[in-house]
Amino acid sequence: MHNELRNGARRLRAPSALLAAGLVTLGTACSPDEGEVTTLTSIDYNLAEPQNSSTQAMLDECGEQVGVEIERDAQPRDQLMPSLLQGASQQDLPDLMLVDNPDLPQVASTGALLPLDETGIDTGDFYDSTLEIGRHDGTLYGVTAGVNGLALFTNTAMLDDADVEPPATWDELGDAAEELTGDDTTGYAFSAIGNEEGTFNFEPFLWSNGGSLTELDSPEAVEALDFWARLVEDGSVSQSVVNWSQADVKDQFVGEHVAMMVNGSWQIPVLDEEGMDYDVAPLPVPESGDDPATPMGGEVWAIAQNGEEREERAVEVLQCLLSEENLTEWAELNAYVPPKEALAQQLAEDNPEMAPFVESVPTAQSRTAELGEDYPEVSGSIADAIQEALAGSGSAEEALSQAQQSVPTS
Amino acid sequence: MVVRTRVRRAFRTVIALVIVGVLLFPLYWMVNASLQPSSALLETPPRWSPIGGTLDGYREAIQEQGRPLLNSIIIAVGTVTFTLAISVPAAYALSRFRLPGTGVLLFALLLVQMIPGIVMANSLYAVMNQMGILGTHVALILADSTLAVPFAVLILRAFMVTVPTELGEAAMVDGAGHGRILWSVILPVSRNAVITAGLFGFLFAWADFLFAVTLNSDDTIMPVTVGIYRFIGAHTANWNAVMATGVIASIPAAILIIAAQRYVAAGVTGGALKD
Amino acid sequence: MSARLARIGFLAPIAVYLVLFFGYPLVSNITMAMREFTAASFYTGDAPFVGFENYAAVFGDPVFGTALLNTAVFTVASLAFQFAIGLALAVFFQRHFPLNGVLRSVLLLPWLLPLVVSGTVWRWIYDQEYGVLNQVLLSTGVIESEIPWLASTSVALTAVTVANIWVGIPFNMVILYGGLQGIPTQLYEAASLDGAGPWKRFTNITWPLLRPVSAVVLMLGLVYTLKVFDVIMVLTQGGPANATETLTTWAYSLSFGDLNFGAGAATGNLLIVLALVFAVLYLRSTRESAAAEQERS
Repeated sequence: MHNELRNGARRLRAPSALLAAGLVTLGTACSPDEGEVTTLTSIDYNLAEPQNSSTQAMLDECGEQVGVEIERDAQPRDQLMPSLLQGASQQDLPDLMLVDNPDLPQVASTGALLPLDETGIDTGDFYDSTLEIGRHDGTLYGVTAGVNGLALFTNTAMLDDADVEPPATWDELGDAAEELTGDDTTGYAFSAIGNEEGTFNFEPFLWSNGGSLTELDSPEAVEALDFWARLVEDGSVSQSVVNWSQADVKDQFVGEHVAMMVNGSWQIPVLDEEGMDYDVAPLPVPESGDDPATPMGGEVWAIAQNGEEREERAVEVLQCLLSEENLTEWAELNAYVPPKEALAQQLAEDNPEMAPFVESVPTAQSRTAELGEDYPEVSGSIADAIQEALAGSGSAEEALSQAQQSVPTS
Repeated sequence: MVVRTRVRRAFRTVIALVIVGVLLFPLYWMVNASLQPSSALLETPPRWSPIGGTLDGYREAIQEQGRPLLNSIIIAVGTVTFTLAISVPAAYALSRFRLPGTGVLLFALLLVQMIPGIVMANSLYAVMNQMGILGTHVALILADSTLAVPFAVLILRAFMVTVPTELGEAAMVDGAGHGRILWSVILPVSRNAVITAGLFGFLFAWADFLFAVTLNSDDTIMPVTVGIYRFIGAHTANWNAVMATGVIASIPAAILIIAAQRYVAAGVTGGALKD
Repeated sequence: MSARLARIGFLAPIAVYLVLFFGYPLVSNITMAMREFTAASFYTGDAPFVGFENYAAVFGDPVFGTALLNTAVFTVASLAFQFAIGLALAVFFQRHFPLNGVLRSVLLLPWLLPLVVSGTVWRWIYDQEYGVLNQVLLSTGVIESEIPWLASTSVALTAVTVANIWVGIPFNMVILYGGLQGIPTQLYEAASLDGAGPWKRFTNITWPLLRPVSAVVLMLGLVYTLKVFDVIMVLTQGGPANATETLTTWAYSLSFGDLNFGAGAATGNLLIVLALVFAVLYLRSTRESAAAEQERS
């Protein structure tokens, strides 16, 4: 017992001495007036494979090319914003930040980000829609290295067995879901968890029905939520979806407990690894001929205002990350859509399952275009409304009129 | 008579076994899950026993969580040491001296435990940053001690108050100072309370997630709770490995608690008082 | 004089510690709640003073009522069951029987599990389709159709509370057992000689003598229960539709979901005030019992 304690203390001393040494070197590397910048810091939330190793590899490679060492920090998704805000409060943000695009306005509103319009970063041939998600108040603060979106994944064998075609309209979707629901399976699933993921899954339905984020109590919005609620009431969708993240939905799909799911392109590598036989189709629309309207998913790289020299270096690294070669590699490894049109078209040709995602990019909408920094709060209210309609006692109409109260009036 | 007692005692053991079985079922379920292939978790009916399972989960867990486990031990032991060093004298003073402000201090100790963890974390980040210790084990030890110190002082004081003042007064007559009295008279009879306070300090530090994740951006000092959390984020389909990590993470604390339990059970305070 | 200095020396470390690690956070939280504190404020330090507007917004929010009620139900139910079960176990394990020590140690194991892990285990147990709870209830005929434990607004709070009770039992058992050990056995022996039965011994000796320890356990239990965060976050994230939202989880989601830090801080302060009320009650009760003791002697 006593020995253990003493060993513990000895162990404690050694690493903290190392760390202290590390802090000293870090300190000199960080201060802007010490001349040459040799180290940059970076943060992202790509903890899952394959994104984790590709992010690391790409940062290593670009760091080497630019001649700086990049210290990468990867935080869990829900800890990224807190740690960025803490960093901001100490005027100590990482040089490079990969943030989810709906969070960008919040970070940009701090004034801590470097405007990228005049840094010479090449965004030629980018889809306009992919640049839109990096703007805040008209200024470009973030550039994406790959976007994603939502589509309908179907279990090929289960649909064949039931003689069901992948649905293209809401009516067909409802029928197919009912048809595919059995003792041990439900026909259809989406994430309706009480955070941004649930809202993200609902937005295509809201938008393609003509609804908008600023008028949540409109008949179009109510109709869309009502459609979801009826599917749960019928039993074609498990009520548990209110607790399922998109990853949980994917697990249910892989376990063949769900025949069709709404999910993002980033699940493709996982499904392939599991050896699933599946098809991907664009998300069903209210009536045949309606335009699909998916929210733009994906992260954007942003650069902190950390002094001219560090900024210059960070811009060089970002340029390297955005090289065509790297964009394509990232897209292929992680099933993202490259933001450059030519590359995206090529990807769709080479990988047919990516085609529905590539198709949706030009019309995909920025979630924050209408609401800016108010988006997180409204998104939270929408998620609450979805849960209330699916699992609570309230109707879609009541739930949404409640949510409307969170929309700023001005 | 003897036989009847023995039968009655055996009967109690049976009841105790049933209680343990019911209360520990979730733990059994965790161990069971850690030994199943991941797909088995979404089966009906569930697999009740891990027989014929797999050790893959453990292989993966050991590979990834070695360093975090070591960090957790360093942080937890550090927290216990620091907590006791600051709490024992405080508890002694609060139980023995009639100082002005004692009530206020006790009240403050109760109250500070109410401050929501996330509020604490934000402010501690600033304090640690000022002190220049962010990203070290020391930062997490100090942060985790905020969970343990108020608790330890209250528990230690509650026990020390029950120690008859005559015990100390006798030594005082012999010319001993308060430091000596605390060390050689009060501490030995309060061993139960000290071990209880230390044990809980260890467990608070061991289970802490919020401070670890907010005060630490450095993989080299990441404790096992954050390790598991990241592991879950990174391997959503590998539930057996996640649960195997949970099982492994429980082992050091389990050993400690079983060892310390003996002291808690010994009833030292009761013995000292009876004499 | 030097004696006085020595006395202060015992308390100085804790005083400094309290100011630095608790005073500072407390003050910053109080000021934050009076400001319009947004994400931008973190960087610029610019947060306009708004007085009690954040509190008004919190009170005016329909979620506030739900969260307050949930907090009350969650806290009272957790405390009552944790304490009752913990005390029953502590009393039971005071008896002599084979394997007593081992089994008592083993019962502490739930306390060791990082909540991230135990929360995940409970999520599976509660799972609507594949969870072992529904499977068992269905096959024994207790229920006829699956209960969506975590997905229904009517049962989710119960489910979360049960999981939290499970987590808290070992804590109650350990402290109460320690308290029971401190009660001199002669008292029981004397009562037995007087012909007092087990129930009478409990109400006349155990219960009154255990009162100080019980008060500490309940007070700390209250403090921890009000703060419970991880269990709810892992199981339901406060959902579905705020059915399991407590003031703590709501404060978190106001701050880090809506990035409305002023309102989050205001909610946090309300929690502190709530605790203050109970702390006063607790202190008064201990003072009364101390006074009563002095009268007796």
